[in-house]
Amino acid sequence: MNVKKWCALLALVGVNGLAQAGEQVVVYNWSEYIPEDTLQEFKKETGIEVVYSTYESNETLYTKLKLMKGAGYDVVVPSTYYLNKMAKEGLLQKVDKTKLPNFTNLDPDLLNKPFDPNNEYSVPYLWGSTGIGINVKNIPKDSITGWQDFWNPKFKNQLLLTDDVREVFHMALRIKGHSANTTDEAQIKEAYEYLKELMPNVLVFNSDAPREPFLSGDVSLGMIWNGSVVQSREDDPNLQYIYPKEGAVFWMDSFVIPSGAKNVANAHKFINYMLKAEVAKVCVEYVGYATPNKAGKALLDDATRSDPVIFPDKATLDAGEFHNDVGDAVLIYDKYWQLLKAGK
Amino acid sequence: MTRPDPFRWISILPVNLWLWLWVLLPTLLVVIVSFASRDPAELIAWDFTFDNYTRLADPLYLQVFWHSLWLAGITALLCLLLGFPFAWWLARLRPGPRALALFLIIIPFWTNSLIRTYAIKLILGKQGLINTVLLQMGIVETPLDLLYTPFAVVFGLVYILFPFMVLPLYSNLEKLDHSLIEAARDLGAGRWQVLRQIVIPLTMPGIVAGTLIVFLPAMGMFYISDLLGGAKNLLVGNVVRNQFLSSMDWPFGSAISITLIVLMGLLMLAYFQASKRINRAGGIHDSTL
Repeated sequence: MNVKKWCALLALVGVNGLAQAGEQVVVYNWSEYIPEDTLQEFKKETGIEVVYSTYESNETLYTKLKLMKGAGYDVVVPSTYYLNKMAKEGLLQKVDKTKLPNFTNLDPDLLNKPFDPNNEYSVPYLWGSTGIGINVKNIPKDSITGWQDFWNPKFKNQLLLTDDVREVFHMALRIKGHSANTTDEAQIKEAYEYLKELMPNVLVFNSDAPREPFLSGDVSLGMIWNGSVVQSREDDPNLQYIYPKEGAVFWMDSFVIPSGAKNVANAHKFINYMLKAEVAKVCVEYVGYATPNKAGKALLDDATRSDPVIFPDKATLDAGEFHNDVGDAVLIYDKYWQLLKAGK
Repeated sequence: MTRPDPFRWISILPVNLWLWLWVLLPTLLVVIVSFASRDPAELIAWDFTFDNYTRLADPLYLQVFWHSLWLAGITALLCLLLGFPFAWWLARLRPGPRALALFLIIIPFWTNSLIRTYAIKLILGKQGLINTVLLQMGIVETPLDLLYTPFAVVFGLVYILFPFMVLPLYSNLEKLDHSLIEAARDLGAGRWQVLRQIVIPLTMPGIVAGTLIVFLPAMGMFYISDLLGGAKNLLVGNVVRNQFLSSMDWPFGSAISITLIVLMGLLMLAYFQASKRINRAGGIHDSTL
């Protein structure tokens, strides 16, 4: 037996250990991403048991599905370009929209994105962005308008960047007028040369909890996720969010059904339930990210619904970019990323 | 011929099985994968190639290795300089206080090292313990940049790995025969001469063991460089992690791991050779004396 079969076997044993007889749906999701009560309500309404487990990164989800060849789970929730990558590699099956009457609740502006044209494989759950975080106590908010301001020499040794190669290159590619999804080595190299000039300003890379160095006072400017700022408002209202003029990084987490799912009908029932307006509303209030669910958004209170940090206007959305899978170009990005970090 | 003792077999079997299944076999798999190549669709393509090893000769990775070696070297040196006097003092304590002191060294191990690393962040941060005290006392006017520097990485590595240096040194110093030191003093040796010609040669096995036990893990502790160095000071461990998680290049990550293992093997070999020589020449077991 080779390594992959061993791993697959172990993983399957793990999943089946949890599963029991009776109607069920096996859901694998980001941690703290669906309120516990919602899962209970789903069982009460449909009689289907949700076997629920969580992950912390797309990489974990991807590797697990890859090793198990798309089996073991009925619903998973990858982000933007992982979805694209999984679909290309045959790890997903198409969703049957005739079984999703609540699909019409979704905002058409957030459907049919380049990472999944016509939403053949995916149903959006929540979306958000990576933009600029600023502590307005230490830096005047109107002095910062875009990524370009990070290059100002006065921020020497002060910035936080996310520890994410695609997001960091996004800044330089956008400033240089390229797409953040480029696979052209010349453009990536140009971005790398420009990012090298930024390195003296970088204090820390952090993708586990980028708000934490802001809250502990170690940084006052850098990249951050909009949801982190929303969640931190009670702890420190001075931490605020700016959509950079060159365009923020947008991402979307979507429900998909792996190719080897066993309970396909139940998976559709689960996704349809999550698309209910009331359920979508509860999820936004719990997680702090935006819902693509128009009907759900309408149920939110005015303050949340008109919060520009959570729900940017269409112009801001159009200025930004969703990331796609770049295929083998990931190796080019990775090479320059290592060079950047090794300081060459 | 001695008859095989069934008790011995039964008691050793589970440990052996455990090591075979969960140490030897996975390591062999890593060796095998290190000769395969990356496949975007299947993770691993099962062809036979040395590419992963030749790629390591790239100046970029040589630099990472060098930087890693440098940080780990400084860590080992600091641990030795701090650990030796401490182990000496420990070995001279009366049995009661000594047991207590050893116990105190072990206690931090009961807390996960990740949590202790987060605690270091609270101490070194701009609004952390050190900066708060320095600012309040008026010694500095603006907070010092301590966190997210190479200093913080070495600080964290020394803190986490210090006991691994002290314990082997202690076990060596404890066995040190004091009559040898007295004899040297009687023969007119100064303090420095005693240290250099008697104590250090006799405790060399402990020094080498401690240095190795500190040096090798220091190169792989990626979470220390991530959390305290701001993920800027790449250790070999960071590169391995990135290969497995972000680039999905398992064969290359495996090749780096194997290279580290081989490096460790070579150092161990050097250690055994050295200790054999020490025992032969001038040590207590020197048959020529």
